[in-house]
Amino acid sequence: MSSVEIRHVTKSFGLAPIIKGVSIDIQDGEFVILVGPSGCGKSTLLRMIAGLEDISGGEIRIGSRVVNNVPPKDRDIAMVFQNYALYPHMTVAQNMAFSLKLKRSPQGEIDERVARAAEILGLKPLLERFPRQLSGGQRQRVAMGRAIVRDPQVFLFDEPLSNLDAKLRVAMRAEIKALHQRLKTTTIYVTHDQIEAMTMADKIVVMHDGIVEQMGAPLELYDRPANLFVAGFIGSPAMNFIKGNVGSNGFKAESGQTFPLAAAPAASDGRPMVYGIRPEHIRLTDEGVPVEVVVIEPTGSETQIIVRPAGERDKPVADHSSAITCVLKDRIAARPGDMIRVMPDPTKLHLFDGKTGGRLN
Amino acid sequence: MIVTRSTHLQRVALYAAVSAIVLWTLAPFYWMLVSSVSEQRDLFSFPPVWFPRTISFERFWQLLGIGSLGDIDEETARPARLFRSALLNSVIVCGITTIVGLTIGTTAAYAYARLRFSFSRYLMALTVMVHMLPPIATVIPLYILLRKIGLLNQLSGLILVYAALSVTYVVWVMNGYFRTIPRELEDAARIDGCSRMGALFRVVLPIVVPGLIATGILVFITTWNEFLYVLVLVNDPANKTVPAMIAEFSTQDQIKYGMIMTGGIIVSLPPVLLALIFQRRLISGLTAGAIKG
Repeated sequence: MSSVEIRHVTKSFGLAPIIKGVSIDIQDGEFVILVGPSGCGKSTLLRMIAGLEDISGGEIRIGSRVVNNVPPKDRDIAMVFQNYALYPHMTVAQNMAFSLKLKRSPQGEIDERVARAAEILGLKPLLERFPRQLSGGQRQRVAMGRAIVRDPQVFLFDEPLSNLDAKLRVAMRAEIKALHQRLKTTTIYVTHDQIEAMTMADKIVVMHDGIVEQMGAPLELYDRPANLFVAGFIGSPAMNFIKGNVGSNGFKAESGQTFPLAAAPAASDGRPMVYGIRPEHIRLTDEGVPVEVVVIEPTGSETQIIVRPAGERDKPVADHSSAITCVLKDRIAARPGDMIRVMPDPTKLHLFDGKTGGRLN
Repeated sequence: MIVTRSTHLQRVALYAAVSAIVLWTLAPFYWMLVSSVSEQRDLFSFPPVWFPRTISFERFWQLLGIGSLGDIDEETARPARLFRSALLNSVIVCGITTIVGLTIGTTAAYAYARLRFSFSRYLMALTVMVHMLPPIATVIPLYILLRKIGLLNQLSGLILVYAALSVTYVVWVMNGYFRTIPRELEDAARIDGCSRMGALFRVVLPIVVPGLIATGILVFITTWNEFLYVLVLVNDPANKTVPAMIAEFSTQDQIKYGMIMTGGIIVSLPPVLLALIFQRRLISGLTAGAIKG
């Protein structure tokens, strides 16, 4: 196990900057998830930590050692890839033993380590099979087994669950988390799925366009997103954003409606702002803002309703500018076209600068 | 009932079509075989003699240097005497060409498929384009080139030309093959402890073995059958390959069809045997990457 320090790291492909000065501290044994939309640079950063991509600027340390110019094989890391990258001409046992064979470990030690990893992951009956004879979940486990046998300083995961179906993904998510709790190896995990990030990480690093937008504990990011990007990225369904500005008796939306504020932020002199409220922080009350129901989606445990200000029901479906999503624990009898009143919880709201996107409250 | 009858008819039609294609393909080989074992006078009789009255393997023994050449004229005897050395020349030329072509072509194809370097796409297109040129367009410049470097009439000159051409073919085929192999396999190997070359030899090459075998066989067969270059670039009978030597049976005064056909049968055997031995590998190699796995 080891800590990982990423200091002012940059990466350019030709003239195009991909990573624009990223610094992250990862503690010994921590489970850190790099999350962000496609093309944000998270996989490139992971590959740079692995040594599979050169570092254009900055410094990466694993433990106390600067590894900028250390080849991948000497970094004492193990990586699990999105497509598993199992060697198709080798059996499961040979796949898992490959790195130890290259290190010329004694055969007895190789057998023992492979057996132990197979035991942990439930792979014992599959050791003599070839990758093509395994299911997606089994292949994923072999890829993890190949990483475990090396007993590395750091585990790197590059979107390891993306190729699995939804049900298996949830199961494997729990397995990876349980594995980390058992082995306590420092883990850096890349995903574009914010649910994975929220459920698995000790610390989430949200990346966007080659920079770190925010990092912190999952609930910290959920409760106090630093800017509009993080607020919109973390949470499903996504946070509602209402454009407008602060008026004398609340937040005045561009649609003309007024939403409640607990306290107006300083310097709220009529400048453009964004009122953010999570769908589960809105309730139905008789004193609320009048809106028209557009879509109702009951899931059994909860009901998701999409509403718009009265008269805007026929706006194009793709136009989310004035749509508000509410998640209610109760089942309600409303139908599309009905007028209802919704009330955001003013203690749970997030205010962002309309120009910079930065958090104001 | 109607459905059954129509299915039955379809099957009959299918078999008829397949039989016609097989017949069309094999008929020349059958005629070649008949001509090689028939008497000289039967070769020109009309209507043709489809089933030889007497079968003689004498021409085979003569060409392979086992039988006596006593009663044949000198014009036929000269190429017949050199046939065995031509066979050896063919084996040497094709063997070395295949090894050199595969070695250089495979490493170049890997570089084109994996490494980022300037103009790689244009260089790749240029490499493939060389293979598109008709041999007749390149044979004269190659003749001049070989004469200048003193390799005309030599096996080494012929190998140089064949290897250069086969490299372009190998690059073309193997480049496509390498591109079907996920890059992450090499990344995984490099993290597991391989260098870049180690990843190529320990992980990538074992996976592309069917492709290597298929490409190697095709290079061998193409070189084995090549006629134009050897005809122009090698005049010395001692350094000719089999296809050119067979052509020697056709002279100004006469054409020895029997010898030509016998030579044809002998020269066809190695490629057919290769294809039969590596049949399964050849098919998996030629079809790999066709379907997303």
